[in-house]
Amino acid sequence: METRAENPPNGRAASGDGSKKLGRQMEKVGHTAEQMWDRTRDSFSDFSDAVDLKGRVNRNPYGTVAAALGIGYVLGGGLFTPLTARIVGMGLRIGMRLAVLPLLKQEVAEVLESIEDDDGRVRGEAAGKGQASKRTRTRGEEP
Amino acid sequence: MEMTEKIEETARELGARVKPQIEEARRRMSSLNSSATAYIKDNPGKCVIGAIAIGYLIGKLAGRRG
Repeated sequence: METRAENPPNGRAASGDGSKKLGRQMEKVGHTAEQMWDRTRDSFSDFSDAVDLKGRVNRNPYGTVAAALGIGYVLGGGLFTPLTARIVGMGLRIGMRLAVLPLLKQEVAEVLESIEDDDGRVRGEAAGKGQASKRTRTRGEEP
Repeated sequence: MEMTEKIEETARELGARVKPQIEEARRRMSSLNSSATAYIKDNPGKCVIGAIAIGYLIGKLAGRRG
């Protein structure tokens, strides 16, 4: 708290007191700025420690940069835009092609195999019946 | 027969001519990749902040167009 003697009413301040006060204020401002800078630096280092930025970059440099690019894109308000829709659509199409095509191939191969098996069985049965009928015919012909 | 032999020979010649260029391009790409990786590892903060800024700008442009 400043006393009335240190801070006299308007018009009564001595010039020496004013310069001293200004100096003190400047010192205070400088101290506050220094404190603020220290706090900012500390919080930034805490943040980078928590995120483990260096380790992440060392492990996967391109991935980290891509993630930062994505964060910036979202911050810039590009999330709900036609460009995002187009990119997501393209990604989905490629993903579907990569993921679904092998499954479809496998399914088609299984279906074809089962059809071939059925066909073989039917042919086998038909051949068996034919032989049996031949046999009966030959038996019937026998006196 | 002659035709196929000619085609084979041409393909072989073409391959022999293009192969060194492909090798050179591969070497260049590899050195570019290693230098980019080293730069990112040396300046992680700069690269991450720059990438965020570029992404922000792209997002802004995309938002304006949409």
